[in-house]
Formats: sequence, structure tokens, C-alpha cells
Amino acid sequence: MSEFINETPTVLEDNQLPTRGEDTDGNLLLGTDVTKESLHRTKLLLKIDNSLQSPVLQNVELLTKLLQLNQAPELTTDESDEDTDDMADELGVPADPIDPQEIYDLIAHISDPEHPLTLGQLAVVNLKDIEVHDEGYKDRMAEVIVKITPTITHCSLATLIGLGIRVRLERALPARFRITIFVKEGSHQSENQVNKQLNDKERVAAACENDQLLGVISKMLSTCK
Amino acid sequence: MPIQLAKSLKLHRDKVWSIDCSNGMLATGSTDRSVKIIDASQYKLLDELDNTVHKKAVRSVAWRPNSYVLAAGSFDSTISIWNREGEEEMDNSWEMELLAIIEGHENEVKSVAWSHDGAYLASCSRDKSVWIWESDEMGEEYECISVLQEHSQDVKHVVWHPYLQLLASSSYDDTIRIWREYDDDWESAAVLNGHEGTVWSSDFEKSETQLRICSGSDDASVKVWKYVRDDEEEQQEWICEATLPAVHTRAVYSVSWSEDGHIASAGSDGKLVIYREAQPGQWKIVDQQELCHGVHEVNVAKWIKINGKTMLATGGDDGYINLWNWDTSSTSNKNN
Repeated sequence: MSEFINETPTVLEDNQLPTRGEDTDGNLLLGTDVTKESLHRTKLLLKIDNSLQSPVLQNVELLTKLLQLNQAPELTTDESDEDTDDMADELGVPADPIDPQEIYDLIAHISDPEHPLTLGQLAVVNLKDIEVHDEGYKDRMAEVIVKITPTITHCSLATLIGLGIRVRLERALPARFRITIFVKEGSHQSENQVNKQLNDKERVAAACENDQLLGVISKMLSTCK
Repeated sequence: MPIQLAKSLKLHRDKVWSIDCSNGMLATGSTDRSVKIIDASQYKLLDELDNTVHKKAVRSVAWRPNSYVLAAGSFDSTISIWNREGEEEMDNSWEMELLAIIEGHENEVKSVAWSHDGAYLASCSRDKSVWIWESDEMGEEYECISVLQEHSQDVKHVVWHPYLQLLASSSYDDTIRIWREYDDDWESAAVLNGHEGTVWSSDFEKSETQLRICSGSDDASVKVWKYVRDDEEEQQEWICEATLPAVHTRAVYSVSWSEDGHIASAGSDGKLVIYREAQPGQWKIVDQQELCHGVHEVNVAKWIKINGKTMLATGGDDGYINLWNWDTSSTSNKNN
């Protein structure tokens, strides 16, 4: 971690901006209205730390192997999250809350299982349909609600898309987050059924132990940045 | 005395799904596919079952009453049966040996439970069915004596009555079903409708004078149901007697009814809540603990007895088992 602290913000920009700039205005995340230098620095450190995770998260093969080795990949995320929060505590400022833009950036680049396009490009996920309640403290619960809009009303793959989003968020977000994913009202024939399945913890956990399904999801997530 | 953490044990590398306690021995099951046996009075790990037996998460563990036989149900659709090796030996060595693997369910086994006399083992699965198994004396051979298929969805949990041959199952179809033995077979005796989401678990009252059950649901509520009578068609009539004070903000994953009449509930919001019946059918919250596994979800809460003392055990997504002291005798003062 310490060697990254000394890196310049320029490196940070390189890591972050392409991801953010592609689909929407990228400024939201970098805290444009930060006045205190220390707070700014903390935020930068947090970003750098986040970017540290991304090679791991990108490497789907490694994730699959980790799962097979019976290690929970989210542990990796948890640990780095604690590190960032500790660092924030030392600097005397609260941890940085996660905002909808960050959630969007995590999920917009997931590939559609049917098309050679991402969920962001297809407007299956939209920034305005992401709701986040987070105070940024690691010891308080937080919530993310993502409404998805499947491309066609009878899209049988809505459950798979939702599952891909959930797996992505569960792996990337700290444990304090409760994730709710549902299909936007009126966009799907059997939305209640899909919603119930997507938010059933036990079914999602079992799905994540299904190698075939995990393979499909890994492929969807392989385009995440 | 309020709820107090007695001991926190990091036992698993992933979600703890299930806890069962018998003779002061705790058994735990986890997504990490292992089952651990702990001496709860000394917080000592006695054994870890061979974790290559199950290929997926161990969702449910259950001790057969008055024995050291343990059943473990897994997402790999099988149930394993274990017994303490050299049980009669006086030394303190513990080793669980595999007695049998039971196959039959089409997919994930969600819950296993033994009847009060140990005669039957019940299991349920995402395949929408509840199976009742009968074993030989040694616990090595298992024969399925009934497959109950009335639930229209995933069956999440099964629990037996503490004295009667009565089984309750909770389901993704939002109902609880009561099953009873009838003419050498098993049949549905009642359907309990009222929850507005998956019913995650239920537990019978430990009473010899009345028949009641509590249930926890994805709709964030805890309800108490009461048997009224057998109707003309010989179906049991049950009513929803109470919905407990709303305190949970998310799914209630686990409920437990203590021998002295307290209900405990826990779930996704991380709260552990204890209720007492102030007047018949009227329940009060007597204590609660926020964030009882930090920011993690709590999958199971269970009243357990260790050396005659009643405690609560909880298991969470953080891989911890937490044991809680709570003085039941103090509750009457609290409410005055």
C-alpha cells in the first residue's frame, strides 16, 4: 500500500478517468467541491486503493479459482476496505461514502449475456435508477437499490443480468452494504417472480456455487473495468 | 441484565448458515463446506468434519436427540450422517466418523431436522419437497417413508414439535405447512397463510398445554400462530394469533422459541431481538442487540442450553458464532 501513497494523482487519473468518462460525466467521484487538502488527499488515497482492487476484480479466472479453492473473494475486498477506512480514521475524517456514480461504474461495463454490448450501453442500468444510502462509516449499515430495465419485456435473461449485477456488487462493495436489485415496474412480464429470486440470499448463494452459472457470470463480468 | 456477549468465535471462513446444540455440544455449518463441533462450555473446538464430503455449502446441521449423531444438509443436494467415534470411551478425544450419505433430493437441501424421539429425519429442498426418513438403530441405513409435495416453491426450513410427531415446513411460497402422521403415511394437516414474503424459519412453542408456532419472514415480520381445532374435513384450523412488534427493517432469517416462553429473532438487519408474552397473544420486546455480527447479516439465532444455563447462539455472514448471556428472570421487572 505505502508505495502507492507516493504515486502522483496523475496515475490516479489514468486509472480512473477512462472508466468514468465513458458513459457519464466523470467528475462526480473525484469530489470537485473538496476544499480541505487533507480531505482531498484522503479521497485520493481511497481512490488509489479502490483501483488496487480492480486488477483482482477484473481477473475473472483468478476469481473462479479462488472460489474453487474455497476462499471467499469478498474477504480481499473487506480487508482493503478496512485499510482505507483505517487510513481515513487516522487522518481524522470520516470515510468516503459511496455514491450512485460509483455503483454505476461498477456495473455499467458488465456485458449483456445476449449482445456484444454492455449493460450501460444498452441502458439496462441507468444512473438515475441507482439509489444509495451510505454514511461512509464502516461500522454502519448502508444500502444500494438498483432498478434494471431489461431490453425486451419477455427477456428471459433478466434474472441472469440481475444476478450478474448482484455478484459484481457483492464482491466489490464492503460488507456494510445491503443490495436490492429489482426489475423496473412494467418492464418485465413476471417482475415479481424475478425480483423475489434476485433478492433471495440463499438462492443467490447457491447460484454462486453452480459452476456453469458462475462461468456465464464470469464472462459477463470480464468486461468490467 | 441486558443481552451480553459471552463469547465470539471465528469458526468459519465464510457465512455461518446453521447452528445446533445438544448436550452442550455446538455444531455449525457454513458456506466454507465445513462442519465444526465445539464444546460450548469451554469454547473449545473438538472436531472439524472432513470438509471434502460436501461439494458445496453446508446449509443445515442437526443433532439427533440424546445421541452424538449429526445430520448435515448441503447445497450439493445430499445429507451426511455422522457419529462420534468411540463414544463410550472416557477420554476426551473427539472424532466424528461418517456413517451415511443420503441422496434423493434433486437440488439444494435447505434444512434437516430430527423428530423429538430421533425416529425420523425430515429434510427439505429447492425441489419443493419435504422428505421424511426413517433409520435403523445404528443410524446407518435410511429409508424414505414419505415425500411431501404440497408446497408450490422452494422449501426453506423444517422443524419438529418438541413432543408430538408434528412437522412444520416454511417456504418461498410464503406459507408454513403443518404435517402429521396418518395411516403409516404423512399428510398435510394445515396451511398457514399470512406472511407477505418467503417464510425463512419457524419454531414450535415448548408447551404441553397448547400448540403454537412462531415464524420469521422476508416481509420483516415475526408472527405467532395458534392451533384452534380440527375441522369437519379433519384439517387442523390454525389462526394467526399475533404479529410481534415490528422492529426488524429487513428479512427475518431465524426465530427460536425458548423453553421458558421467550421468542428470539434475527436477520438481515443484524438485530437480535427478544420478545415476551405480556398477556396471552400480546407480545412485547424485552431486549434487543443491534449489529450483533457487526454490519453483517445474521442467518441463525437459537436458544441453547449449556450446563443448565440458557443462552443465545447466533451465526453470521462474518463466519462468527456469537454466544449471548441473557437473564430471563429479569424480564418481569423490565416490563413494569
